[in-house]
Amino acid sequence: MPKKKTKKLIDKNGVRIDGRELNKLRPIKLEVGILDNADGSAYIEQGKNKILVGVYGPKEVHPKHLAISDRALLRCRYHMAPFSVQERKSPAPSRRERELSKVIKEALQPAIFVKYYPRTSIELFIEVLQADGGTRCASLTAASLALADAGIPMRDLVAACAAGKVEGHLALDLNDTEDKEGEADLPVAWIPTLNAVTLLQMDGKVTLEEFEQLVNMAIEGCKQIYPLQKEALKAKYIAVKEEVKE
Amino acid sequence: MPESRAKSGQFVTPGDRLGVIEEFTPGPGTYAEQGTVYSEITGRTLIDMLNKKVSVYPMVRVVVFPKVGSTVLGQVQDVQSRTARLRISKVGENAIAGFFSGILHISDVSPGFVENMFEVCKKGDLMRAKVISDKNRVFHLSTADKNLGVVYAFCSRCGHLLPLKGQRARCSSCDKIEKRKVASDYGEVEI
Repeated sequence: MPKKKTKKLIDKNGVRIDGRELNKLRPIKLEVGILDNADGSAYIEQGKNKILVGVYGPKEVHPKHLAISDRALLRCRYHMAPFSVQERKSPAPSRRERELSKVIKEALQPAIFVKYYPRTSIELFIEVLQADGGTRCASLTAASLALADAGIPMRDLVAACAAGKVEGHLALDLNDTEDKEGEADLPVAWIPTLNAVTLLQMDGKVTLEEFEQLVNMAIEGCKQIYPLQKEALKAKYIAVKEEVKE
Repeated sequence: MPESRAKSGQFVTPGDRLGVIEEFTPGPGTYAEQGTVYSEITGRTLIDMLNKKVSVYPMVRVVVFPKVGSTVLGQVQDVQSRTARLRISKVGENAIAGFFSGILHISDVSPGFVENMFEVCKKGDLMRAKVISDKNRVFHLSTADKNLGVVYAFCSRCGHLLPLKGQRARCSSCDKIEKRKVASDYGEVEI
């Protein structure tokens, strides 16, 4: 398929194709506790991304031999709906989905007090309804909210954001077109109180200085997302209380 | 959060700083790391100035999990001559997410000697028990107390709920007489 490049990704004023500046996030909408049957849930819209997360647990592990005697087993399934992308995606788990399930699980694990619930499992289901680049970061942001909604004790919420290189410019929170046609993409997950990075991946090519700048830029993005997460939790639980009062 | 000490009743989320350990001992819903006390759940702070203790009162679901010593409620899944398997659905008063399995051995049924497990409980009965051990990957249960044992029993012939007469129960529908190890509040428990 010939690559069509009708429009430049970044114009001479440094404005991107979706009208953002280089260091701006896409608009984010977060909602907590929107599913009745799951123990905890969250929904995120980040630009055109739409992702739903449900949490179950802690519950008994099946098959039993997978149980860990001194802590909970964290299980994660990242899944893209067949209609989430332009060309129908097979609903079977792909190589990419398996990888993302693993890295998301490992990014959340240090934040959760898994030691409190030995021999149990905490199950996380991430359903991407609509994808537009940066879904692993958006999933992580929503997943940590769903865990908090399930009442699972955590050291902190996990915020995640990507940064990348597009036509020679460093940009925050790439969308699908920028991700595909740009030079590099670097997702980062960050735990604020520990000041720890729990996810760091990269594709494409950047110089060493650019890499450092990108990591810092992504962490700055996470710092902008973290207060939104807190706000979302507050919005749910304060609103519930007011309903009870009336 | 500002450096000043947190006020009682403040809304906090996981990771919110509540103070330092020189100020407060970390109570339920909090944790201490490198000398600082943080919240680990979503809720409101509760500061006990008398005991210098900070805790977080949860606004989210409380995660319940069977521990040694907790009283649980469950349905009998399977009875064999020496053991019964329970499907635990409640810990204390709180329903749990999903279920856990527990095992009741004949030696832990009552303080005295019990000859036959089939005279203790039958499949489908609801039982209250105490967790006495969590070794070997299963919860070991005990009913050796007045308030522990079967709280609702069902006739093994017709499935009807059994009203109680002493240690025996007589089915009101088919007149079958059955024996159980019953709890003191048999038939009066709200499920």
